Amino acid sequence: MKINEMPIRDIQQALRSGQLSAREIALNALNAIERINPQINAWTTVTRQRMLAEADKIDSLRALNQPLPPLAGIPYAVKNLFDVASYTTLAGADLLSTNPPAQRDCFAVEQLQHAGGLLSGMLNMDAYAYGFTTENSHYGTTRNPHDVQRIAGGSSGGSAAAVAAGLVHFSLGTDTNGSIRVPASLCGIFGLKPTFGRLSRSGSHPFVPSLDHIGPFARYVDDLAQVYDALQGRDLHDGFQAEKGNEPASPLLEKGLDGLRCAVLGGYFTTWCDNDARQALATAARALDAKDELLFPHAELSRSAAFIISASEGGNHYLAALRDEPHRFEPHSRERLVAGAMIPAAWYVQAQRFRRHAQQTFSHLFTQADVLIAPATPRSATLIGDQTMEINGQPLPIRASMGMLTQPISFLGLPVVSVPLRTASGLPIGLQLIAAPFNEQACLRAARVLEAQGITDARPVEN
Amino acid sequence: MSNTQSEWSAYLAQMEQLLALELDEERRAELQLQFSRIAMMAEPLMRFPLDPRLEIAGVYKA
Repeated sequence: MKINEMPIRDIQQALRSGQLSAREIALNALNAIERINPQINAWTTVTRQRMLAEADKIDSLRALNQPLPPLAGIPYAVKNLFDVASYTTLAGADLLSTNPPAQRDCFAVEQLQHAGGLLSGMLNMDAYAYGFTTENSHYGTTRNPHDVQRIAGGSSGGSAAAVAAGLVHFSLGTDTNGSIRVPASLCGIFGLKPTFGRLSRSGSHPFVPSLDHIGPFARYVDDLAQVYDALQGRDLHDGFQAEKGNEPASPLLEKGLDGLRCAVLGGYFTTWCDNDARQALATAARALDAKDELLFPHAELSRSAAFIISASEGGNHYLAALRDEPHRFEPHSRERLVAGAMIPAAWYVQAQRFRRHAQQTFSHLFTQADVLIAPATPRSATLIGDQTMEINGQPLPIRASMGMLTQPISFLGLPVVSVPLRTASGLPIGLQLIAAPFNEQACLRAARVLEAQGITDARPVEN
Repeated sequence: MSNTQSEWSAYLAQMEQLLALELDEERRAELQLQFSRIAMMAEPLMRFPLDPRLEIAGVYKA
């Protein structure tokens, strides 16, 4: 098996037995990135020296027969809104490119370095994380490795494309309204958006603090769970982090569905998608023995409220720069930000109060099921440059609507794993596995069941 | 509850002044389009009856 196709546990074994060195793994990844990245435009910066230095540290531990940390020698990359020491944090924006370099790594990268990961660089995204397509006017469009004429999804498009192309084993993204689950769906890999407040966001560039989450992408559920476990940890500098101890999910993965009840989330979620998404949903529902369909009556209003909170907080965040340096803004989103900055306070507060109401309403569904299944995107990846897609007989703007099925769920702050299936044409399409707050292990176990049955397909694209 | 386009134009012009933003006609037209989309979403949300004691959402408790 090629290094880039090996699960994390196999790499660990190969490192321990001396079959591979961390430097070999790092050089293999760096060479692949150099060869393939020009085709997909996932990386905005490659941190070659740092990666090799991190690899040499792992090899020093091996030379001394010291125990290796859990992600030792594993190549990864992060969305370019995470602080990485000595590099300017871009958040996909030309506007931020003249900022001074970060003084230190963000909390998540510190955790991953401590766990032995090898950072290969930073990844492209929609400017400010405001979009679902990663069509970035300044840093270029990230292309879908499964078909380079198609979008990778966004806003963490580079993070998904990097993993789907098999160039790194995992990556980090953020998800405010769907920015992990949408690109995971379109690029055909696993993505985890944990419970709101579960993982520290310290040292990441904010977009909508009320809704921002961070989370990992990977091609194996076990890899996803191991990275998630490494990211857990209390961070007193993050005022939004929940007071919750670490709850490792990896040891629970092989429990299967034991005690887990699964159901389909219908209504809005099965209306606003195409037949490919419905077919994938039916396949997964059969495999997870999900016979019941449950309804969340406030899905559409939840999306609207998420939209208003996002526009308002995002607009306010960039207001000074919109005033002083409007020419430096991404044209795809500049006036959306201005409109958001002008939203009446009554709308914003109503949206925030409605969020509590919607959380209370949705919590009743968990008395009937532990894991709810819904499509992650209305359809598979559209062509780069397309403006609209027809869903349910209506033309919808792609840039705003590719996340219409993820938006209500992140609004509630629930944990979700996006799992990759394939359409009849071979393009990837993802499903959301949704659980109650802090029940990430349930989503991950259900994802592992689908993976073990061969229902999911996250094979890297042949390069 | 439903506002007309000219009422929104007047509101946006006031906000432009209040927030000291300088827009040209092309940007104003795009702003109007973007704001109209948000206003359409806000309308049913503002009609939704919420319990008077309902607070805004925070982070989940352990």
